Amino acid sequence: MKKVGIVLVTTAFLALVGCGNSSGDTTAEDEGKEGSKSEEFAAVDAPGVTDTEIRVEGIASITNPVGIAADTAGDGVDAYFEMVNSEGGVHGRDLVLSDVHDDQLANNSAVAKGVVDADSAFAVLPIATLLFTGADQLVDAGIPTFGWTINPEWEGSEDNPKPNLFGQSGSFLCLGCATPGPTYTAQLGDRSKIGLLGYNVPQSTQCLESWRASFDRWGGESDIEVVFEDGSLTYGTTDLSVQVQKMADAGADMAMTCMDNNAAVTLAKEMKKQGLDAIQFLPQAYDHELMGEFGDLFEDSYVMISFAPLETPEDSKPEGLENYEEWMEKTDGEITENSMVGWLNADLFVTGLREAGPDFSRQSVTDAINSLDDYRAEGMLPGVNWKERGHTARSNPDCNSYMLIKDGEFELVSSKGVFTCFDPEADTLEASYE
Amino acid sequence: MVDLVEYAIRGIPTGCVYALLAVGLVLTYKTSGVFNLAYGAQAFASASVFYVVRKDHEWPLWAAAILAIVIVGPAIGLVLERFLFRYLRGSPPMAKLVTSLGLLIAIPEVVRLLLGSGSRKNPPPLWWVRRTDEWLWPQGSSVVLDAGQIATIVSTIVVVIALVFLFARTQIGLKMRAVVESARMAELYGVNSERTSMTAWALSSLLAGLAGVLVAPLFASLNPLDLFTLLVAALAATVFGGLTSIPLTFAGGIALGVLQAVMAGALPTDSVFATGLRPGLPFIVLFALLMFRPGLRTSGELQDPLAGVDPPPPSPVTQDQPKWLTRGSRALMILLLLVACWISISVLDAFWLGLVVSGVCLSVILLSITVATGLGGMLSLCPAAFAAIGAFATAQLVEATGMTVIGAMIIAGLVSATAGAALALPVVRLGAVYLALATLAFALMFESILVPLSWVSGGSVPLSVPRPLIGSIDMADDRWFLLFAATCLGLIAWVVVRLREGTMGRFLQALYTSRDAAESIGVSATRPRVMAFAVSAGIAGFGGGLLASYAGQANYQASFVYLVGLVWVALVVSTGARSVLAAIISGMVFFLLPAGLERLFSWPENWLEAHPDASGPVASLLEVITPSWAVPVAFILFGAGAIMYARHPEGSLQSQMSALGRAVNRRIDPGGEPPDPADDLDRESSADLVGPS
Repeated sequence: MKKVGIVLVTTAFLALVGCGNSSGDTTAEDEGKEGSKSEEFAAVDAPGVTDTEIRVEGIASITNPVGIAADTAGDGVDAYFEMVNSEGGVHGRDLVLSDVHDDQLANNSAVAKGVVDADSAFAVLPIATLLFTGADQLVDAGIPTFGWTINPEWEGSEDNPKPNLFGQSGSFLCLGCATPGPTYTAQLGDRSKIGLLGYNVPQSTQCLESWRASFDRWGGESDIEVVFEDGSLTYGTTDLSVQVQKMADAGADMAMTCMDNNAAVTLAKEMKKQGLDAIQFLPQAYDHELMGEFGDLFEDSYVMISFAPLETPEDSKPEGLENYEEWMEKTDGEITENSMVGWLNADLFVTGLREAGPDFSRQSVTDAINSLDDYRAEGMLPGVNWKERGHTARSNPDCNSYMLIKDGEFELVSSKGVFTCFDPEADTLEASYE
Repeated sequence: MVDLVEYAIRGIPTGCVYALLAVGLVLTYKTSGVFNLAYGAQAFASASVFYVVRKDHEWPLWAAAILAIVIVGPAIGLVLERFLFRYLRGSPPMAKLVTSLGLLIAIPEVVRLLLGSGSRKNPPPLWWVRRTDEWLWPQGSSVVLDAGQIATIVSTIVVVIALVFLFARTQIGLKMRAVVESARMAELYGVNSERTSMTAWALSSLLAGLAGVLVAPLFASLNPLDLFTLLVAALAATVFGGLTSIPLTFAGGIALGVLQAVMAGALPTDSVFATGLRPGLPFIVLFALLMFRPGLRTSGELQDPLAGVDPPPPSPVTQDQPKWLTRGSRALMILLLLVACWISISVLDAFWLGLVVSGVCLSVILLSITVATGLGGMLSLCPAAFAAIGAFATAQLVEATGMTVIGAMIIAGLVSATAGAALALPVVRLGAVYLALATLAFALMFESILVPLSWVSGGSVPLSVPRPLIGSIDMADDRWFLLFAATCLGLIAWVVVRLREGTMGRFLQALYTSRDAAESIGVSATRPRVMAFAVSAGIAGFGGGLLASYAGQANYQASFVYLVGLVWVALVVSTGARSVLAAIISGMVFFLLPAGLERLFSWPENWLEAHPDASGPVASLLEVITPSWAVPVAFILFGAGAIMYARHPEGSLQSQMSALGRAVNRRIDPGGEPPDPADDLDRESSADLVGPS
C-alpha cells in the first residue's frame, strides 16, 4: 500500500504542478487551393473530388438500443443528387452520396473523426443523429457539414461561430428564447388559458422557458395567460390525469407540451377522458403516420414546421417541394420530415457549390453559403440569412408554416402564404406572409 | 380534502399497473428464487408478438391473445428454465441476478431481429376496440376509466386473488414454494422438482406476457425501454412486499400510484419538492424501503436449508503454477498490451483509434466493477452514476477554478469516492439482491433528480472538458491521449492488483467465501466492503473524468445513462469480475464489437453490389444479412456473456485461463501430485493481471 500512496502522490503532484489544459486548437485545413483549368471543366484539388464526381458522406443514427432511427435523411440527399445529376451534375461532375455511416448512437465522435481522417469526402451530409458529439471534429477540419438541427452543438457563438455547420433552416436554435409560435397559435385557436407541461430534463425546461417568455411578451395583447405549469414530469410517464384535472380546474383551453409525441398522445387521451375541451400546440408532430393513428385526438390542434409542408396547395406549391415529391417517388425514397431535411441539406450544399464556381474548395463553398442573405431552397424555406444570422443569431423575421389538424389531416392555416412571419424583437405580433 | 381524495382515486389505475408488474416479479422470485430483471423484456416479447399478429396480420383478438400470452409467454419461460435457470437453482442470488441482467439486454434485440425493428405505433389493446380511449366508463363522471385501465384493474385483481389462492390453498403452490426453498428436500417428499419449476416459470412468464400486452397501449409506440422504465418504477412495490407477499406487493403498487397522484395534485408545481422530489419518487421510495423496511436487513435471501450439508463451495479457481510461469505470463501480457498500443498508434485510422481510446477510458471505469463486484462481492448497478459524478465534477472544477484537468480528474475521483462511501455505509449490510436494487435506486435518483440540475450537469449544453497538457505535450492529439489514458489505466490496474493481494483484498475474499467464518476471526463485515465500494466509486469517477476529457464534454446522454451502466456490469461480470484483464477486454469490446460487426455485416451487401448477377440460395442468404444487424447482434452477445455466467461464475476469461494453466501444469509435470495446500504460501498467485488465487 505504501507504493500505492507514492504513486498517487506523485501523480497528484504532476497533475497539479506540471500540467495544464490543452487549448484544443487544431489548425483548420486550408482549402483555398486553386485547380488548373482543363478544356471541359476546372480541375479541383479537393478531397472527394475527381474529374467526374463530387463525393460526400453522411452520418446517421440508424441502429441503436433506443430503437429510434433517423435513417431516411439519406433518401432525401440521394433523391436530390439524382435530380441534379439528371441535369448534368455540378461543374461537370456527378454528385455521389458514397456512404452514410451509422454512429450507433454512442460512436458519433469516432465516426466524425474517421470521416475527417479518411478525407475522402468533400462534404458531410446528411448529419441525422440523435447526439452530435463529433461536431468539434468537423468544425476543426473545416469540412462543409449539413444536417438536422436538433442538438445544441450546431449553434455557433461569437467566440466559436462554427461557420461550416449548416442546419436545414439555420444553425441557431436559440433555446429558451421567446418565440412567437405559441402565442400565435393560441390566437389562431382563440384560446386564452394555457397549460404547460414538460419533462424534468434541461432541454424540456428551456423549451418551457421559451414558451412562457412568448406569452409574457405577446400574450397580454390577447389576454392569454399561463394558468397551469408542470415541468417536473418524468420521461415515459403514463398518467397525466391529475395534471389534466388541475388544468380543467384552472380553466385551461389549450395545452402545450415540451415532451415527445408519446406524452402528447397520453395527454390527448386523458383530456378526452375528462372531457376537457382543449387543443394542443404540437411542434414535433409533423408525422403522417402518427396522425394516421391518433389524428382524431388532435382535432383542431396546431403544428408548426420550419419548411414548406407537403400540404401546401397546388397553386402555391413551391418548385422545390414539387421536385422533392417527384424525385422521392422516382427514387423510391420515403417521404418523411427526416428525408425532407436531407433534401434541404443537399439543396444548400449544391447552392454553395454553384456559388463557389468551378474552382471550388471546401472553404470557398463554406464562404459562398455564408454570403447568402436570403436562401430559400426554391421556396421550401422562408429565407435564411446565412450572411448575418445563420450561425450565431436567431432568424429575423421568425417564419414558420402553421398547420391545423382536421380529420387526422394537416391543413395549412394561412391562405396568404406558406410561411407566417413575425418580428421576434417587436412588442406586438404582426404577421406577414411569404 | 375532496381534491385529495379525487387525486388519490386517480392514482389507482396507475397503481394497478405497478402492482401487476410488481406481483409478476414477486411471483418469479417466490417460485424460482430469481429476481428477474428481464421480466420487462419478456413482457416486451409478448407485446411485440401481439402487435404483429393483431395489427399487422389482423388476427382476431382471442387468437392473438392466446398466441402472445398463453403460448409465447410461457414458452419463453420454459426455455429459460430448461436451458438456464435449472442449472442455477443452487447458485447464489448474484449469479441469478447477473443472468437475468444478460437476458434483459439480449431478449429485446432477439425480438427486433426476429420481428423487425420498425416503430410500432399505437399498440393494440386487449379489448374489442382499436384504441383504449374508444370505450370510456362511467360517462359523465368526474373519474372516468378507459378500456385499457378497466382491463388492467380487473386483470390485476384477478391475478392477485388467483395467486393468493394458488399459494395458500393449492398443492402446486405449496410445491413451488418448497422447490424454491430446497429442491432436494422437496424431492425427498416425492415432489417432481423439475416439473414444478417448469410450471412456475411458465406461470410467471404467462403473467409477464399478460402485463406486456395490457401495459403496451399506455404508450404511443411499443418500445422495450418504456416497459423497463415502468418496471423499475414498480420495484418499490416488490420491496414493500418483501419480495414474497403478493397482497403486500399489491398494496405497495396501489400506494405508490396513489402517492404519486396525490403529490402531483397537492404540491405546488413550482416548489422544490415538486421539481426535485416528484420525478424520483418511485426510486426514493424504493431506496427508503430498502433502508428502513422492518425485517428486510435480517430476512436474508432464499437459501436452501440443506445447504449446510453440502461441501463448501469451491474457492475461486486457482492456478497453481511455478513462479517463473506466473512472471512470464504477466510479462507476456504487458508486452501484448504494449504491442496493441503501438499498433493502435501507428496503424489504425482515426475512427478505430477513437474507439480504442474510448475503450481504454471505459476500461478505467470498468475497473471499478472489478473492485466492487469482483473483490467486494457486491453487485453494484450504478457504475455509470459514479462515472458521471466524476465527469461533471471534472468539468465544473476546471471551469470554476481553472485548475489542470488532471488535477480536476483526481479531485473528481475523490468526490466520487466520498459519494460512494456515503452510499455504501447504509447498503453494504444488505443481501445481494437488495444491495443491487439499492444501487439501481441510487442510479435512478441521480438521473432523475440531480442530472437535470444545471449546476450539476450544465443544462442542455453539455459541460466542456479540455484535454490535458503535460509540459509541451498536447493531448489534443488522439495518439498522445491514448498513451496518457493507457498510463492511467496501467496505474489504476496496478492499484487494483495490489488491493486484491493486500490485506483488504484478503479480508474481502474471506467475507466473500464465508462471512460467518470471517467475522468469527475478527474480520469486520462492514469496513472492508465500505472501503471497496468507496475505492470503486473513486475509480469510476476518475474514469468518468478521463472519458469526458477525451470526448471534450461531460455528456450524460452520450456516455452515462444508467442503462448503459447495466450493460457494463453484465460485460465485466461475464468476462471475469475479479480480473483486471477482463475489465480491459470488456472496455474494448464495448466500443469495438458493434463497429466491427457493422463492417462484417456490410460485407454481404458490398459483395452483392460487386456481383449483380449473383443468384441462388447463397445470394438469397446474403441479401438477408445487413449492417443493421450489428447493434442487435452485439447486444445479444453482451447479454449472452452474462447468461453464460451460470456456467462460469468466475467469468469466461478466467475459465479459459484456468484451463490453459492446467494444461501447462500437466505438460510441465505430467505425473505430478495435486499441490499441497501448505505449499501455497511459497507459491505466487496466478497471473496478477488475470485473477486471484
